[in-house]
Amino acid sequence: MKTTLKTFAILLIIAISIFTGCKKDTDSPVAEPPPPVNESEIMTTFRLNFTDSAGFAPSVAAQFRDPDGDGGNPPVQFDTVKLSANTTYLAYITILDETKTPADTISKEIKEEANDHLFFFTPGAGINETITILDLDTNPTPLPLGLQTKWKTGSASSGTTHIVLRHQAGVKNGSYTPGETDIDITFQTKIQ
Amino acid sequence: MKKTLSIFFLLLNALLSISQCDLTLQGKVIDHHDRQPLEFATIFIKESGKGAITDSLGYYVISGLCPGTYTITCVHIGCDSISELITITADQTKNFYPEHHLHELGLVNIVSEKVPEKTVQPSYEMKGRELDEQRGESLGQALKTITGVNTIQTGGNVSKPVIHGMHSNRILILNNGIRQEGQQWGSEHAPEIDPFIANKLTVIKGANSVRYGSDAIAGVILVEPNKLRDSAGVGAEVNLVGMSNGRSGTASAMLEQNFKKIPALSWRLQGTLKQSGATHTPTYYLKNTGMKEYNFSAAAGWKKEKYGAEIFYSQFNTTLGIFAGAHIGNVSDLYDAINRTEPLEKGEFTYSIDRPYQHIEHELFKAKAFVLTGKAGKLNIIYARQYNLRNEFSKDKPLNDSLAALNKPELQFEITSHSADLTWEHNYIKHFTGMIGVSGMTQGNTYSGRYFIPNYRNYSGGIYWIEKYSRNKFQLEAGIRYDYRWLRIYKYEGKVIVSPIYNYENVSGTLTAVYKASKKVSFNFNAGSAWRPPAVNELYSDGIHHGSATFEIGDKTLKPEKAYNFIAGMNYHSEKLHAEVELYHNIIDDYINLQPQIPATVTIHGSFPTFVYTQSDATFTGLDAQLSYYIIPQLLITGKASVLRAFNKTTNDWLIQMPSDRFSGEITYNFKKAKKISESYITLNAEYTNKQWRVPANSDYLSPPKAYTLINLEMGTTVHLGTQTITIGIGCNNLLNTSYRNYMNRFRYYSDEMGRNITLRLKIPINYSPKTKSTEK
Repeated sequence: MKTTLKTFAILLIIAISIFTGCKKDTDSPVAEPPPPVNESEIMTTFRLNFTDSAGFAPSVAAQFRDPDGDGGNPPVQFDTVKLSANTTYLAYITILDETKTPADTISKEIKEEANDHLFFFTPGAGINETITILDLDTNPTPLPLGLQTKWKTGSASSGTTHIVLRHQAGVKNGSYTPGETDIDITFQTKIQ
Repeated sequence: MKKTLSIFFLLLNALLSISQCDLTLQGKVIDHHDRQPLEFATIFIKESGKGAITDSLGYYVISGLCPGTYTITCVHIGCDSISELITITADQTKNFYPEHHLHELGLVNIVSEKVPEKTVQPSYEMKGRELDEQRGESLGQALKTITGVNTIQTGGNVSKPVIHGMHSNRILILNNGIRQEGQQWGSEHAPEIDPFIANKLTVIKGANSVRYGSDAIAGVILVEPNKLRDSAGVGAEVNLVGMSNGRSGTASAMLEQNFKKIPALSWRLQGTLKQSGATHTPTYYLKNTGMKEYNFSAAAGWKKEKYGAEIFYSQFNTTLGIFAGAHIGNVSDLYDAINRTEPLEKGEFTYSIDRPYQHIEHELFKAKAFVLTGKAGKLNIIYARQYNLRNEFSKDKPLNDSLAALNKPELQFEITSHSADLTWEHNYIKHFTGMIGVSGMTQGNTYSGRYFIPNYRNYSGGIYWIEKYSRNKFQLEAGIRYDYRWLRIYKYEGKVIVSPIYNYENVSGTLTAVYKASKKVSFNFNAGSAWRPPAVNELYSDGIHHGSATFEIGDKTLKPEKAYNFIAGMNYHSEKLHAEVELYHNIIDDYINLQPQIPATVTIHGSFPTFVYTQSDATFTGLDAQLSYYIIPQLLITGKASVLRAFNKTTNDWLIQMPSDRFSGEITYNFKKAKKISESYITLNAEYTNKQWRVPANSDYLSPPKAYTLINLEMGTTVHLGTQTITIGIGCNNLLNTSYRNYMNRFRYYSDEMGRNITLRLKIPINYSPKTKSTEK
């Protein structure tokens, strides 16, 4: 019995030492999580800048800001787009990742990958505006992109403007259907 | 002859027997190679002089046994005789698998061993032909044929077992005796186990925290490899599986040896390779649904009569394509996908895997030792280390070119666990057998990439005691356990690390009674409790769940979930009829589930319906039944039913995502053994899955899919080429190529299920035993 126990103990020690000797543990306690700012891309801010093409009406800006990204704290800023009546504005879109310091300009990357992206602008019921895309991608037969647009306002009215960015990697054909949605924002809009 | 013998034994019994000597040992004697029942095999008990001879179905019964330990010998002409030491404390089934050797009679080494203590709780074992038919399938899919067991799927490549409506953290999987510790909280995280490791899969239904610890709320799945070879020689087995849908190929091989000169030493190597391309529904290909997998394991053991040790190492690696059509950005994308009858992006056949995909690795190291503590019992010690890596790659690379070039996963989790278990099983003392055990575990989890769950470390420990009382026709098992768990979270809130600590503890108990009314009928009743502390995702998740387009928010204040489970069952077993019926009622206090919250969460990608982890009281009530009847000895009909009603008592409504009622019927014809072929059979199976009518109102984007019936065909045979056998199986799932959608598949919004799939399976066992001059008598 005694020898049995002894052999048993020896075997156990051998088994455990084989294991511990071979494998260096990489899982030491998880005291330090990875830094909060990581390499993943987060869209936090969507900005619209309007300038009157005729130079009369003052420039206008409107933005959606959710600096901590999806969830967590709710968006801190969600402006109403206030435009002057009967004016033609040139608008450009800026998209930022403000979780990074300095903020990362994602709209630049979208411009570089213009062939995979397409914006859609849909005025809601009752609002007197027409929106046309000005910029094009670099396809042999260029298709619209939508970072730069022309907004033509009519008489005073209020409603919404629905803006969608479709990500259409390799499948962009100018229509809405292919791909999936990267951005989907509805701005309250007032023409005064 | 048989009658004379039994009268003789009856008399002998009357003369020799003392009180309570009415236990029964029964079983079958089956040829090791061709699995045919062996008639006229003699089963003999050395100590009592009792014995029996098998009938034409290989069946034997020895009754009137007193509790105790016996040497039982099985002899059949042309076979090596087998002797085993068996402790009988209750009516017991023992099958023998003697090896036929026409030309040589080899010496078989008999190693005595205490039969491991099995729970008397209702369980279902899948092995032999039944398991062979599932070769090439994932673990989740393989178990689906068992009543009360279902799967929850995320497309075709990710499937998880569901027992009585519950899955993930409410089921415990024991891989070779070790709690599987991966990222099992996610319904799109399939178990990281190679089913080829097992030669037996066991499902224990019902709450069972006492023996297995936390999380065993709905049941336990045991993935058990064969014991290491204990007779001298070399054995091998090759399994090859090909499937038409996905044009997949699986090859698995096992090689094992026991040394003639060092009979204590055995080893085994095993490995599996699998690759599948895009699968197709009856009308279109599912884009990016290929997968590949490579796994291996190695084991070595040293076993003496009174002590032994074993080490085991396994690795599981898989890369799974995620159906491209299921990628959506927000709720309107989801509605667009639902309104399409077919996915927009249809693929063609390819083996290549693109984004989105998952890459998963799992490692297990286990060291185990036992020593007999005199005549009193057996002491076991087990140490295990597990490492799990999960990488999830989104459909689109980052827009930033330098980030995209790194090609990093958008989500990565790493979890490492160390566990140790110490148990002492005591031998039979005045109708009692039992065990006492302690177990401990520590676990560290880290993530990188997008935040979904925080880093954490936890320590948990448990102590338990189970006793089984067997007397006359009764068996009673009772157990009690105490568990403690310490959990510390490490999380950035803003730029500051917060690290709250959580403590959980619980006492669970179990009580099982079995009454054997006669040789044919037995009744069982089980009352058990189980618990699980809230999982980290339930405490801390905060983000969009892609695929379901919902925003999920955890609750830091959740309490542990507690289950009280009752099962009443009846078994009837005669030569012609076999019936099993189980009724269950599971009461779960503080059941953690997602409840809708208003308002929706506003993000830059649109508004998302929002769900918060909430606790309610729930009940799961149901019936599992299986009935088999031999019309003639060759023709077997089987019917199965699984019925479940899952109800949320707090909201007074049904629970979401529960399997609907399922009924199946099959007819099997077993052909008589011919000259060179044996074990030939053909089975036609029809499986009806009802529509899930019982869902909470306004909780889903789409009402559950309609009911469907699938027809499946399965046939097999064993060919004898000299002493070598090859088992061939051909199966056809969804024979009629029916288009259907399954409520338990998360991708039901996007696509139909797989169409017809024809499977060809080959199993080639190889055995070499060294020749010996002496024969055992």
